[in-house]
Amino acid sequence: MNNRPVYLNLLKIRLPVTGVVSIAHRISGVLLFLSIPFAVYLLDLSVASEQSFANVNELLQQPTLVVLQVLLLWSLVHHLIAGIRFLLIDAEVGIELAGARSGAWIVFISEALVILLIVGGLYL
Amino acid sequence: MSLYVLEGLRPWVIQRVSAVYIVLFSFYTIYSLLTAGQFSYESWKDWLYHPFNTTVTGVFIIALLFHAWIGMRDIVLDYVKNIMLRIFILAMLMGVLIGSALWAFRILLLSVVS
Repeated sequence: MNNRPVYLNLLKIRLPVTGVVSIAHRISGVLLFLSIPFAVYLLDLSVASEQSFANVNELLQQPTLVVLQVLLLWSLVHHLIAGIRFLLIDAEVGIELAGARSGAWIVFISEALVILLIVGGLYL
Repeated sequence: MSLYVLEGLRPWVIQRVSAVYIVLFSFYTIYSLLTAGQFSYESWKDWLYHPFNTTVTGVFIIALLFHAWIGMRDIVLDYVKNIMLRIFILAMLMGVLIGSALWAFRILLLSVVS
């Protein structure tokens, strides 16, 4: 490694929308990874008995866990939709700058719609 | 170096193939949820332990195991430069993933045993 100075101030970096999709894909992937053991635990409880199934139902309605669920819902929806966009880019769809940019906006707009739809359907 | 198990183009391909399977599985489970009607303990167990659903869920666990491993491994290789710390974190990630996968398989196969 060389000793050249590195200037890296995250607050001064103006990330383009395509870069925001990309880093959000990473962050959402990490959050989903972290949720795996807890998801398996809930799966175990949900099939163990009728009583523990009811307990899971009750547990998931705790306010703090609802916040976590919304965060994980965002992670899942973003990772899925942005992932489909990355697959399309691999297939050379939307690979030029304008297409990549509009693709990134389509990801954010459609994920907002999907999340509103699911949250609306679940909690309203 | 075979330290990270998968090299070259192979992880790139596995990442995409598993991604496509996970997308298809997600759409299938969403479809099942939307058409299920009443969501109860019985209907949930019936769904999960239907042979077809147990099978596709088992394949999903394998796909997710590879997908999550390659994704997390890439992130560690990008940000963690210290080789010992890298090996330590990768080993922890592998432990969490394999432990979770085995646990999930146990849940899926319990119905076959009992």
